[in-house]
Parts: sequence; C-alpha cells; structure tokens
Amino acid sequence: MNTHKLRRARSLAARHVVLSIWLLICIIPLVTLVLASLKPAGLFMTIPEIFSFSGFSLENYGRAWRQGNFPFFLRNSLIIATASLAVVLVVCTPMAYGITRLGSAKMRNFLVFSILSTRFLPYVVLALPMYLIFRVVGLSGTLFGLILAHLAMQLPFMVWLMLGFFSGVPVEVEESAIIDGCTPFQTFMLISLPMVLPGLNAAAILAFIISYNEFLFAFFLAGYDAQPLTVGIARFVGGGETAAQYGVIAAYGSMIIIPIVIFALVVNRYIVSGMTQGAVKG
Amino acid sequence: MASQRFFRPWGFILPGIVLGIITLVVPIVMGFRYSLHRIRLYRLSDQVFVGFQNYMRLFDDPLFMMSVRVTFWFTIGCTILAVVFGLAISAVMSTRGIRGTGAARFYMAFYLVPFVATQVVVGMLGRLYIWEPEYGMINWIIGLVGMDPVGGLISADTALMVTTITNSWRLVPLALLVFYAALATIPDAIVESAEVDGASALTIFFRIKLPMIRFHISFVTLIILTSAFREFDLVYALSGLGPGRSTNVMSLLVYHMGLSTANIGLANAISFIMFGMVAVLAVVYIKAAKLSEMRE
Repeated sequence: MNTHKLRRARSLAARHVVLSIWLLICIIPLVTLVLASLKPAGLFMTIPEIFSFSGFSLENYGRAWRQGNFPFFLRNSLIIATASLAVVLVVCTPMAYGITRLGSAKMRNFLVFSILSTRFLPYVVLALPMYLIFRVVGLSGTLFGLILAHLAMQLPFMVWLMLGFFSGVPVEVEESAIIDGCTPFQTFMLISLPMVLPGLNAAAILAFIISYNEFLFAFFLAGYDAQPLTVGIARFVGGGETAAQYGVIAAYGSMIIIPIVIFALVVNRYIVSGMTQGAVKG
Repeated sequence: MASQRFFRPWGFILPGIVLGIITLVVPIVMGFRYSLHRIRLYRLSDQVFVGFQNYMRLFDDPLFMMSVRVTFWFTIGCTILAVVFGLAISAVMSTRGIRGTGAARFYMAFYLVPFVATQVVVGMLGRLYIWEPEYGMINWIIGLVGMDPVGGLISADTALMVTTITNSWRLVPLALLVFYAALATIPDAIVESAEVDGASALTIFFRIKLPMIRFHISFVTLIILTSAFREFDLVYALSGLGPGRSTNVMSLLVYHMGLSTANIGLANAISFIMFGMVAVLAVVYIKAAKLSEMRE
C-alpha cells in the first residue's frame, strides 16, 4: 500500500515537472528580453551576462521612449485596438444575434457559410487591394482606413465566436419578453445580451489583443501618420542610428509586449473560453 | 419559427453585412480584377488587361515555385509541431490530480503567453536573443550539453526549420487549450473501467481518449494550417526572406512583388492562388463542422 502511494506521488511529481518545463519554455524568451532591456545599451551580451543580477538600469527605457517616438505609436495602437473592440460590440454581436434568430434556415446557412469562408482568408489577399483602393479613395495613411482593415480581419471570427454563445440562449425566454411588450431591440439588450456576457467579454478582449498585436495591415496601409507600435518597432530597428543599440531595442520590445502579456494573464479565463469556443463551433 | 418576425433579425444583421461588403467583398473582387491586369505601382491609371497571363507567368517562375515549397513545409511543420505538442501537454494536464486544480489554472494562464505576445516583437526577440548564432540562448544551451552550435537563421539549411519552430511555439497554446477542454470532459468512469481491464495509460490515451476528441483534433488542425499558411508578421520580423530566400513564404512574396518590385498585377495573382488554396481548406472545415453536428 505504501509503495503504491509512493508511486502515485512520484507520478504526480513527474507530471508537474513536465508541465513546469513547458511553462519555462513559454516565458523564458520574454524574461530574456526584459532582462536584456535592463542592461547597458550598446553591448551584445551572452546569456549568462544577461541573466546575471547586476548592473541594472532603466536608461534604455528612457531612450526607447524618446528616440523611438513611443507615445505617438502607442496612441495609434490604442485607438486602433479600442476601435476594434467597439466594432465587436456594435457590429459583430448584433449580427451574430440576428443570424441565430433568422427564420429561414437557408438564409442562415448562407450567412454562416460566408462568414466561415472569409474567416481563413490570408490577410495579404485583402491588404494588397486595400492598399490600392485606399490610395484612390484617399484613405491611405489614415487611422480610419486602418480601422476598416481591422474590421475586415475581426468580423468573420468575432461573428462566428458570438454565434456560438448566442445559440445557447433559449428562444422561449425571448418570446415571452416579446409577449410582455419588449421591442426587438429591448429584447436583445435586456434579455439576450446579459445571458452571453461572459462570451461578450471574451470576444472584446480577444479583439483588443489581436488588433494591438497586428502588423501586416498596418505595414501595408498606415503610411506615416497612422503607424501603430508594431510598425514603430520595425522602423526603429531598421533605423540607422539605433541599429546597434540592442538594449534600447529590447526596451522598446518590452514596452510593447509586457503590458499586453500582463493584461492577458489577468483576464486569462476569458481568453481560454473565447479561444475554445471559437475553435470548435459557432 | 413563426415568431421570427417579432425579432426583426435583419435589423441586427444589416450593418454587419454592409461593412462586410465594403471591407471584404470589395477588396476581394478588386484584387481578382487587379490579378488579371498588368499594373505598376507608380502608374495605377495605366492598367492593361492581360487575362490569366499573370497566373501563367507564375508557374514558370522558379522564385514562385520555391515560395510554394517553402510555404508548404512551413505550414505542415508548424501544424504537426503545434498539434503534437498541444496533445502531449494537454494529455499530461488532464490527468487526475492536476485537471481542474489551481495548479492547472496557473499553468494555463502562462501557457497563453506565446499566443498573446506581439508577433513582431517575438520575431525580433528570436532573431537577436534566442537563435543568434554566437550569443543566442539556443547555442548557449547546446554548448552546455557539449554539442556543435547550430547556424540558426543565418544558414540556408536551418533558417526554415528555425522559423517553423518559432511559429509553432506561438501556435501551441491554441491546440493545447482546445484539447485540454475536450479531454477534461471525458468522464473518469470510462478511464477507470479501462484501467480495471488492465489497459496501460498509453493504451487509454491512444485507444480511448484520442478517438473521443477526434473532431476537436480536426478543427484545431485546420485552424492551425490556415493560420500558419497566412503568417506574415513573425516571418517578416524573424528572418525576412531568409538566407538564399529559404524562408520566403507566399505572404512575404506578395509583399515584395507588390510593394517592393511594384508589380501589382502579379502580386495579386499570387495572393489569389493563396486564396484558392485556403478555400479548399475552408470547405473541408465546413464539412467537418457539419459532420460533428450530425453526430451530436
């Protein structure tokens, strides 16, 4: 009996070791980046030097903030990500709701099919024509144009995601709300929406993170005035004067990545539910 | 459902449809039109209709054919690595004693990190600190073990492999998460009765649990296939074209053909070939979704 217990404990410990190793693989690269950002700027250091706990300074952050024009890019990133979040709330969520409440199964299937078939679209297929169209209609290099492009990226996935959450809401509840005198809009706002609130949180959080991290559309369409942080760091690394300042680059990268990672850790529950739901069914 | 007219569903759907037509349908249709024309970036008004000539030209173009091969290996490699690692880790995580505990939630929170980390920054981090041949972390670890250092991103032999591994690192969470959610719902009773019958842990995993989550596996595989196929951000920041164009995936080729070489017509033809390839995968996904619905 005792040996049996011992074997159990050993097996559990072994499994925790495996999971801990994977945890290290997930976070060590980012730890390296942050530690490197705290070391003197110009030198390229070996791994033991980066991980040695001495010679810390925040000097690189000041330089990245000023030389890299960080506040300008940050402002654009936040505007774009917030707009994407708003699109999910104002456009995608009602659309998903409407689709689940459509009477005609044919129409419903057609819309679900259209959404699914655009969901896997390679983004260059959209970005390249948009680049030309935006030049013609005068949207190139504007935040508004970039927000439209992000809408194209977000719409199929977010509608699909919310479809899954809304199809769990029983129609009977809504019908009785209608009978009690609610308008369709009131039914949606007061009855259905509160029931999918966790799903709505998940969609909004995912939309914000995806748009904050996005690079391709910004790279094609942002011109100069609308560039977000992801284009900012690419430009910063490419720039001649900073080319050798590894510490400053690390600081710039840390300032982009650390806030979004901490945010994700705090709301991880919603990300898990959103990604699971979005992967499997709508 | 007679009551549907009370819900007024079209009022909710219409704004989304209008925006979807503006931001999705119009660019796709215009993109197809561009792909049938000869267009130079700096003389947009000067468009010559050439039919499918752009497509024909591509199939004789060694650069394009190489890019197709690179994209193929990159996509397949990422999918296999992400699905296998996702399965292995979720299998350990969903065992009794760990599943559903605070420890599992703790692990899962951190397992999400690669997925939410900004791809462009991950690419630069990989290039400067992880795969850098002299100072990077990988060669440091390899040195500790006493093996020969790898060329990483500067060698044409390994650059594609390194890029594939880095992108898989980013995709594992997606697989891991869905598989864990699926495995955790398998009732203990099933596993226990198999144990009583003398099945080993491996047998139980491969013969009982895997078949039970096969639909989850097919969905995740398709999602990872398509997202690796269209990856641009990470490859651009990590290796760019790569030594000897060894990491020139099709998304990058579209960018270089379109905005650097300024041959818009040809670039749009490449992106439309990508569109066609993904369409096939999307149809498979929809078929699988229908199949799984029927099963329920």
